[in-house]
Amino acid sequence: PHKQISGVSSGCQQGGCLTCSDYNGCLSCKPRFFMHLERIGMKQIGVCMTSCPPGFYGTRSPERNTCTKCRSECDSCFNKNFCTRCRAGFYLHLGKCQESCPEGLVRSDTQRECV
Amino acid sequence: LWCLLRPGAAGQGQSAAVCSPSCSCDEDGGADCSGRGLTAVPAGLSTFTYYLDLSMNNITELPAYVFKNFPYLEELRLAGNDLSFIHPEALSGLHQLKVLMLQNNQLKTVPSAALKNLHSLQSLRLDANHITAVPDDSFEDLQQLRHLWLDDNNLTEVPISSLRHQANLQALTLALNRILYIPDNAFANLTSLVVLHLHNNRIKEIGDNCFAGLVNLETLDLNFNNLMVFPRAIEALPKLKELGFHSNDIGSIPEGAFHNNPLLRTIHLYDNPLSFVGASAFQNLSDLHSLMLRGASMMQDFPILTWTNNLESLTLSGTKISSIPSDLCEDLKLLRTLDLSYNQIELLPSFHGCMRLQEISFQHNRIQQIDRDTFHGLSALRLLDLSRNEVRLIHRDAFLSLTALTNLDLSLNSLTVIPTSGLGSLSQLKLSGNPQMKNVLTAKNLPKLRSISVPYAYQCCAFVGCDSATSPSEEHDLKKSAGGEDVDRVSMIMHCSPSPGAFKPCEHLLGNWMIR
Repeated sequence: PHKQISGVSSGCQQGGCLTCSDYNGCLSCKPRFFMHLERIGMKQIGVCMTSCPPGFYGTRSPERNTCTKCRSECDSCFNKNFCTRCRAGFYLHLGKCQESCPEGLVRSDTQRECV
Repeated sequence: LWCLLRPGAAGQGQSAAVCSPSCSCDEDGGADCSGRGLTAVPAGLSTFTYYLDLSMNNITELPAYVFKNFPYLEELRLAGNDLSFIHPEALSGLHQLKVLMLQNNQLKTVPSAALKNLHSLQSLRLDANHITAVPDDSFEDLQQLRHLWLDDNNLTEVPISSLRHQANLQALTLALNRILYIPDNAFANLTSLVVLHLHNNRIKEIGDNCFAGLVNLETLDLNFNNLMVFPRAIEALPKLKELGFHSNDIGSIPEGAFHNNPLLRTIHLYDNPLSFVGASAFQNLSDLHSLMLRGASMMQDFPILTWTNNLESLTLSGTKISSIPSDLCEDLKLLRTLDLSYNQIELLPSFHGCMRLQEISFQHNRIQQIDRDTFHGLSALRLLDLSRNEVRLIHRDAFLSLTALTNLDLSLNSLTVIPTSGLGSLSQLKLSGNPQMKNVLTAKNLPKLRSISVPYAYQCCAFVGCDSATSPSEEHDLKKSAGGEDVDRVSMIMHCSPSPGAFKPCEHLLGNWMIR
């Protein structure tokens, strides 16, 4: 599986930051960017992104855009109840990650989907 | 296994990953060129690149054939580039592309020509652009498309024609646009759609058949719009589980409103000027866990909740409801929180069947008495708020079962005396605002009390041991009233109000200490 390798530099150099501090990174984001709190050791760094990291989904609203954790069995998701990619051992069907597939479909380990 | 199948993967004869100086690449074929100030797609990347992140650069245009050397590319990220033009042939050759991220750019229309031939595309992000038009043929070739983001753009209508052939689409967001109206059959062919977000638009009206065809829809989000009439079109959604239409202008919920949506789990309807709710609206919703109705000011009848028997939280406040069905707990055995505050309830039935109740609020009703069996059997109840009623009488055994009760609010009633049997776990008791309650309260049955508010300061002396103001005889009385226990233990009470003091000593002179 691909892994998120795009590193977004923390601290104040990020492109999406509106206000920031060297210690906590972004404190607020420019419009249309997603605010995400990344944990680095004991610290939390604010990061402004155009899309939430794997395992999180973005919710846009007029006031702010937030990242929220997907369900535990999802690697990535569209919203709280709709997965787009499953964790190992789970198989995707119509947005659900399950350990088995509905009748008539079989498990594909490479795609982690019911096919 | 997956890596070995894909040419260029680790161990396929390439010791160091071929990479561009502007990027960092891993041995799996992933290339991260994000946030490097690039104005064009960098040269020197491996032909076997399968994941390319070019987000957060300054690439404002994509020329023709710019990705022709990446036949194995599966994920292409171009978000946050001020991209305003994509040549029709820019994405040619990307036959294996599954994920295309174009959000946070300056596109004014869907680049339909460029999207042609992306036969493997499953996820397409076009959110946070300035799209006003979606050409009819925009997604024609994208037969594998499952997830489409068009939120945060300038659409004024649902792009019906462009969605007409999307039988495999499963998740669609059109949120944060300027859509005013949803016509009938707007999503007719989207038979695989599971999630539809339409929140934060300007939707004022929807056709009664606008959701026809959405036979698999489970989540519908209509929050933050201008709907004035209940969206009856949901009748076409037999698999609906999550429904949101909070923050609209809906005035009433009709009878049988959700009769065609038996699988509903959550309904968010707060922040609507509801004045009427049909009594049968919430019947037969056996998967509903929580129901919150506030401020339906004209509502008079308690909703019929037969077969809505998995409800765990019921909030029904700010109505004209004056009675509670006596068989309420026959259906709501799993209820844990019950908030019926700010209604006009006079009599309470027995809640004996609601064994799991933990929190009850009847604040601000017209309740006059509490019977012996009203709260019988509620051994899990922790919080009971009966404040702001007209309670005159509480049966002496009314609290016998409430062995877990920690917070009891009886303030602002008409009580003269309260029973304390069964309140061994009580830590907070509120009795202020009961002017007829003048007797000296005893701490005997309230060993865990930490905070109490009482009608008169002198009543605090039984709890906080007023050293300065108490004479030896009163000391004796205090011990007696505290059951002979050590006064210091009683003074473990952290807070009693109104606290006695120089002008409010503990003596109770002539029945009215206000005389001093």
